[in-house]
Amino acid sequence: MTAPAFDSVVAGALREEAGIRNRRVLKACGWTAFAAGVLYFTATQIGMKPAALVAGLPFMWDFLTRLLPPDLTYFQYLVGATIETVQIAIWGTLLAVLFSVPLALLGARNTTPHILVFHATRMFLNALRSINELVFALIFVSAVGLGPFAGVLAIALHATGMLAKFCAEEAEGVEKGQVEAMQATGASKLQVILFGVIPQVIPAFISYTIYRFDVSIRSATVLGLVGAGGLGFSLIKTMKLFKYHETATCILVIFLLVLVSDWICAKLRARVL
Amino acid sequence: MDNQPTAPRTALSIRGLSKTYKGGLEALRDVNIEVNEGEFLVILGPSGAGKSTLMRCLNRLVEPTAGAIFHQGREITSPKQNLRDLRRQFGMVFQQFNLVKRVSVLTNVLTGRLAYRSAWRSLFYSFPQADKRIAVECLARVNMEHKAFQRADTLSGGEQQRVAIARALAQQPAVILADEPVASLDPKIARQVLNYLKQISRELGITVLCNLHQVEYTREFAERVVGMSRGTVVFEGVSSQLTDEVLHRIYYRDPGDADREDAE
Repeated sequence: MTAPAFDSVVAGALREEAGIRNRRVLKACGWTAFAAGVLYFTATQIGMKPAALVAGLPFMWDFLTRLLPPDLTYFQYLVGATIETVQIAIWGTLLAVLFSVPLALLGARNTTPHILVFHATRMFLNALRSINELVFALIFVSAVGLGPFAGVLAIALHATGMLAKFCAEEAEGVEKGQVEAMQATGASKLQVILFGVIPQVIPAFISYTIYRFDVSIRSATVLGLVGAGGLGFSLIKTMKLFKYHETATCILVIFLLVLVSDWICAKLRARVL
Repeated sequence: MDNQPTAPRTALSIRGLSKTYKGGLEALRDVNIEVNEGEFLVILGPSGAGKSTLMRCLNRLVEPTAGAIFHQGREITSPKQNLRDLRRQFGMVFQQFNLVKRVSVLTNVLTGRLAYRSAWRSLFYSFPQADKRIAVECLARVNMEHKAFQRADTLSGGEQQRVAIARALAQQPAVILADEPVASLDPKIARQVLNYLKQISRELGITVLCNLHQVEYTREFAERVVGMSRGTVVFEGVSSQLTDEVLHRIYYRDPGDADREDAE
């Protein structure tokens, strides 16, 4: 290539680069303006007024002074509720594990018996995931009555949706070679899943189950608000009775419980992975 | 083995086999191969020659588009063929070993017995004592019994491939299909693995089909060679017949260059 020709090729590429950059900047400006407009509109729609927050500060201060200090003698009455909260989380998560294994296999493209079963399962799981535990708890409180069992069922259903979807996606991402090797031995479909898929999914599944248990503890602390047992019930009870110092104790215990559970679960997950 | 074989019996007869993948890739074009009972046959060719597809047609992991395969006189490509029965007669060994990484070596070998057992029993990951005996014997054949209880992913590449051979053996197969079994191993380990395969073929009378892309190993180990290039068989003979001309035919027929090269 001659020198002038070479120079013109280089100049052409640089011109093109400048054009691409200009277009990109223009595009970014347009999107930023659009996003700002949408955000401003939503803020006015939902009544976000910083002035209201400032005006409300004295009331918040008033509430805080009524809460503090926490009534530490109330601790002894919360031991039972704390244990109940953990128990709700344990059984809720355990049931979710039992339900989610078959659902995950039905809801993964490579293990499902039929594509329609796959779609139906995913739809069902999405429904479970989209409904909050509190909503489930309301339903189950009216079905099985006030108390922790309603909480267990609420957590079990929601966690099933989460666990099964996660597990199904893991199953879809397994190393194909191991699956092919199992097919090549003449193993049946179920055997291929048992030996080619499940061993590959187990570590992630255990890890996610532990994480889910941690989340379930947090959920179990509020389920009592709708009468489904645990610390939340003590929280709402003391509040309704205007015993704010005891309410503060409840909040403190919830905080500590979540802290401890978070710590333990993090340790456990680190050991699995 | 001192009983003199008379005329070799045909184990596998591949007739007019073609495979075109969805999307139009022609992996095999009218492939005809006769494989003798108990022989160690190397299928030699560059990557993309169709060797892997050919093997996967034999145990029907891939369905051929046209043609037929006969095993001991029975057509195994017929739609009536039971796939479990078929596949357990063909042990397979892979380039990437494909062991179930998170379970023990012994369990991996036991998976070779799955086709003989019901799914209900497998649900509990349990195997009968007889299967365990077979599995340990197969491990001993490749000198890996001392690592039976180790997790498969703790083994070196060569060890993993030996376990994979034991898994194939546990199927008590008539044929072993080895798809580039030494492509990810260093030369010393590669020869060791090929020696095990050859020994198994000789001692147990198992027919071994072995895909290779290395000429050196082919010369050393093959009893007979089939050369493949771009989905067709371009050579059939013993390894001493692998002349430069033959190798050129196998390796350097680039797409589109065929006519020009033929003229050279």
